[in-house]
Formats: sequence, C-alpha cells, structure tokens
Amino acid sequence: MTDNREGDNLNSDLAAPLHFEKANCLVLACGNTLRSDDGVGLRLADWAAERFQGDSNVHVVARQQWTPDLAADIAAADSVLFVDSSVDSVPGRVSLVAVPSNCGSGDARSHHLEAHELLGLTRSLYGSMSAHAMLLTVGAASTELGESFSEPVESAIPRARGLLEKTVLRFLSN
Amino acid sequence: MSQTITIDPVTRLEGHGKITIQLNGQGEVEDAHFHVTQVRGFERFSEGRPFYEMPGLMARICGICPVSHLIASAKACEAIMSVRIPHTAAQLRRMMNLAQMVQSHALSFFYLASPDLLLGMDTDPKVRNILGLAAAKPELGRAGVALRRFGQSIIELLGEKRVHPGWVVPGGVTEPLSTEKRDKILAMIPEAYGNITLALGAYKKIAGTFKAEIAAFANFPSNYMRLINEDESIEFTDGALRLIDPKGNTIEDGITATRYSEVIGEAVEPYSYTKFAYYKPLGYPEGSYRVGPLARLNIVKHMSTPKAEKELTEFKQLASGPVESSFHYHHARLVEMLYGIEKIEEILADSRILDKHVRATAGVNRLEGAGQAEAPRGVLHHHYKVDENGKMTWANLVIATGQNNKAMNLGVLQAARHYIKNGKFTEGILNRVEAVVRTFDPCLSCSTHAFGQMPLAITLVSAEGEVLDKVVRD
Repeated sequence: MTDNREGDNLNSDLAAPLHFEKANCLVLACGNTLRSDDGVGLRLADWAAERFQGDSNVHVVARQQWTPDLAADIAAADSVLFVDSSVDSVPGRVSLVAVPSNCGSGDARSHHLEAHELLGLTRSLYGSMSAHAMLLTVGAASTELGESFSEPVESAIPRARGLLEKTVLRFLSN
Repeated sequence: MSQTITIDPVTRLEGHGKITIQLNGQGEVEDAHFHVTQVRGFERFSEGRPFYEMPGLMARICGICPVSHLIASAKACEAIMSVRIPHTAAQLRRMMNLAQMVQSHALSFFYLASPDLLLGMDTDPKVRNILGLAAAKPELGRAGVALRRFGQSIIELLGEKRVHPGWVVPGGVTEPLSTEKRDKILAMIPEAYGNITLALGAYKKIAGTFKAEIAAFANFPSNYMRLINEDESIEFTDGALRLIDPKGNTIEDGITATRYSEVIGEAVEPYSYTKFAYYKPLGYPEGSYRVGPLARLNIVKHMSTPKAEKELTEFKQLASGPVESSFHYHHARLVEMLYGIEKIEEILADSRILDKHVRATAGVNRLEGAGQAEAPRGVLHHHYKVDENGKMTWANLVIATGQNNKAMNLGVLQAARHYIKNGKFTEGILNRVEAVVRTFDPCLSCSTHAFGQMPLAITLVSAEGEVLDKVVRD
C-alpha cells in the first residue's frame, strides 16, 4: 500500500509523442490479492504482462511487498513504473506521480520499502538512477479480507490500464 | 521503587515481539522476558484437511522459510505413505533447502543485523537500517542483495515461485530439473562465491570490535541440537538429530522424526505464545537447548565441502569446546552460506540430477507420521495423525524459534543486567538488548504482508503505574 502524499501529481497529461524507440522499462507492482483493493497493483501487473508480452524491453515484476533486493532490477532498467494501491487517495482515483529523487528515510524497514526508498537504495548501491521513475496508484476503498475489488476500484481499472500503457510507451520512446 | 522497561515491538525481526525488563528499587535488573505476542493456530485449522494438502498449507506459515516447512511437512506425509522418495528428488529438495538457507541468512545478516554490526550499535537509529548500510557500505549492500537473489532465483527456477513454491510434494517433487535450469544455476555460482568471501572478510575485520557484546550476548553454557549425517558431516534435509551438552559431549544421538516427540517436550510460560522446547530426560528448564547456525557448527565435525571446511576449522578456534556466545550466530551464518553455495554446486554435478523420476506415489499406509528438516533458524519438526481416509485429525509443529526460546530469554536477561545500571539506559543500550534476540534470527510471523509502518515505543513505568519516561517512533 502506497502513501502517495509526496510528489507532484501528474495525473492529467502524458501526451508526449510516442516514438517507440525501445528502452528498458520495468513495471514494478505491489499488492495482496487477499486484501480486496490492495490487490489492484497485481491485477494491473497481470494485464501489463499480457499487453507487453513478447516485448523484451518491458519487464513486469509483481510482488506482495517491495523488498530491498528489487534494487538490482531497478538498477538494470532505464525507467521504472511503480504500481500500487493507495489508502490516501479518493477511492477509485487513478494518479501518476513522479517518485521524488530525495530518497532518504529514517523509517526504512527490511521487508517492505516505499517506492522512493527503493529508488534511494538503488542509487546508494549501484550509483544509478532510472531516467524515469513514476508511481501509478489507484485509490483504495477497502483493504479488508476479500478477493474482489470495491466498485470504485473496479470502475477505475480501465483508466489505470490506459495510463499504465501510455506511461510505458512514453518511457520506451524516450 | 521498581520499574518496568518495555521495548515493543522489537525491531528488525521476522514478526512481532516485545521485551520487558523489570528493575528493582535500586535500578538493577531483576528479570527480563522476550514475549512473542502472536498466535499461529495452523495446527488447529489443518484438522479435517486431506494430508497431502499439508505441505502447501503449512508453507504459508512463513514467507521467509516456506521451503523448510514444505520439506518437513512432505516428509511427515511420506511417513504416513510409507514411501522412500527417489534419489534425484531428495537431491533437488536438498538444493532448494540450501538455496532458502542462503537467502534467509543473507536477509538476516545484511538487512537485519549489519546495520548494528557495520554502522555501530549506538548509531542514530534513523540511519541504522538497510538504507544507511547501503549508503555507508555499498559493496556489502550489493553483496547482500546478490546473495539473497541467488537463493531466491534458485527457488524460483526449481519451484516457479520465489515464495511458497508448490514444487515439493508428498513423495518427491512435481517436476525434474532441466538442463537449461541447471546451467542457469551454475552460472550464478561464481558471483555468489565472490560475495560470500567479501562478507566473511568484512565480518572478521569488525568482529573483534564487539568484545563487550560477545561477552554479554547470550554467552552461557547450553545444550545444542541439530541434524547430522552418520559420518558426522553437516546435513540440512535428512539425517537424524544429535543433542550435545555444554562441553560438547553427545547426550543422545540418532533422534529420528518418529522418536522426536518421545524425547522432546514443550513447556509453557505465561508471558509468551511461543512454547519452550526441552529434552524430556533432563526436564525443563535444564533440558533447554539451542538450535540454528551456532548449534549446527558446534555439533558438526566436518562440512564435507572444502571452502566451508576451512571456515569451520577457523570458527572452532573461537573456543576450546562449543562456542557459547550467541553473537557468533552471525559468523556461523556466513559459514553456512558458503557451505550452501558449495553444496549446491556439488549437487548439480550429481550424474543423476537430471533424472526424470522424481516422485513416488502411495496412499495411506500409516495413521501417524513425522518429518524434520533444518530450517535456517534451526530444527523444524512436523508431526501428523490421520484417519483411514487420510483426513488430518491432529498436527503439532515445533519450530526453531520455540527451541531457542529459553536461550533468547536468558540472553535478554544477561544483556540487560550487563548494560543497565542504576535504572539508566540509552537507546543504544536498549538496541543491544534487542540485538541479542536478532542474533538468533527468530521467526515470529505467520503472515507475509506487513501493513503500514512498524512503530517503536519504549516506556519507563513506575511500580505505581506512573509513566516516568517514553520514547516513541511513529
């Protein structure tokens, strides 16, 4: 679950020209399919894996938690799109924010890192920063035990897919 | 006026626990406890399930060491089936168990313990974490990430999933190893050697600066138990258990899974949901013992692989008998990781490793079965009873953390008495008390998804219940 109160909200416009000059893009999703809306990140990851199947420049990784070892995957990518649910957003709201480059944290845990912490860890360990790092979230209405999504999240999935696709294609074109 | 110091939760552990330290009127430590505050309950809800579902169900207990649960559970099922699994299946399981050991030890050493070891016990807790470690010692951070990925990648290659693979089943494994996967694993081994060599070198350089901690971190005589082969070499998946006394003499040998419950009992203390395992003939608490990397290296006579053998020789020079301080769990963990890499390479050279026959089949031939394996933290024991249709009627699991429970509690008490004087303590002192528990790398959790932030609150309370001091990390 992502706290996306930080960062600029770039929800609106990603109308950059799509050149399709391929670059290495990592889609890194997080969630729990047993906790209702918390599983939306993994649902979007499944869709992304199918949408970009056969495209060796797009690598989709889905995890229940973002752990430190994922820094190696990020270091190997030119761009990274984090995908998660958010308990701080309006339910069903689809947001895309830049992941802040100031990645220090006093509360880093060993089993679960936020997107900006993972990005910071990547920079510390490998001296590299992805050219593009964005976080796509869908506002969650419920994270109680359950295997289905709330109505706002279910309705938001087509928009989230569209934004995910657009963002990946934009990453690949840069 | 007596006081109680509470550390809740203890951080950088697998799961959630707390520590309480009772001070007397003079501010001296009278007692201390490590409380495990979670309830597992897996034994009860397995009742009524078909026994062959048990490995998959029991693996869900842990996201860090599911492979050990898979293996111990599958072995208990095989005892019910009365089958012996094919050689290749046994070797493949052994490889997956070692891969899990490497990734789990990497997590323990690099992510959980190294912030204390490499940045210092008194370092600002804001940087005493994996991010601080990465900033200060990036080469070691990279080694830790790589070793964890090494183990996880092997598990994923064999079982299709990094966590909770369904590949280990009663009777063997579901799929044989392909040439392609074997070659992928072999290609990862040189880098793994480089990383563990780097870590061992770095640890040996700094270990000498922790003399006070070595002296005060659960540094006392105890019994030790582990799986061992008949030729006295190290074993993680098969073999039988050996229990030794504080001087290294064998108390009992050849404790098979079937005999385990005859000789091992479980005591209950009011302050913890985790039981306290003990050797029945010695009673409780005298029969308490330690398991895990320190116990394993104290018991084993040789490692069977050359690089680890050299490291074992050096490790055993730390003491004339068993190495007593739990601080040395860290060192033992690194030696075991080296062994794991060597042994995986050796297993892949087995001429039968690509054999296609990897599973034996049978129905219910006994109404009771038990299985055991070495998990990263120590011996893991599963014991099941079924009806004639194979439906589970009873289960009992004894996990490593329960077997280390008494030693962890005594270790917390020892460290608290050593460091807390006249009722005065600092964050660094309390971190040392927590660090005693971290040496054992206990696994308290049964869920894989941490939700939200982990807070830390330390409260100093008078005997009258008045809060004298409080430190809170949101």
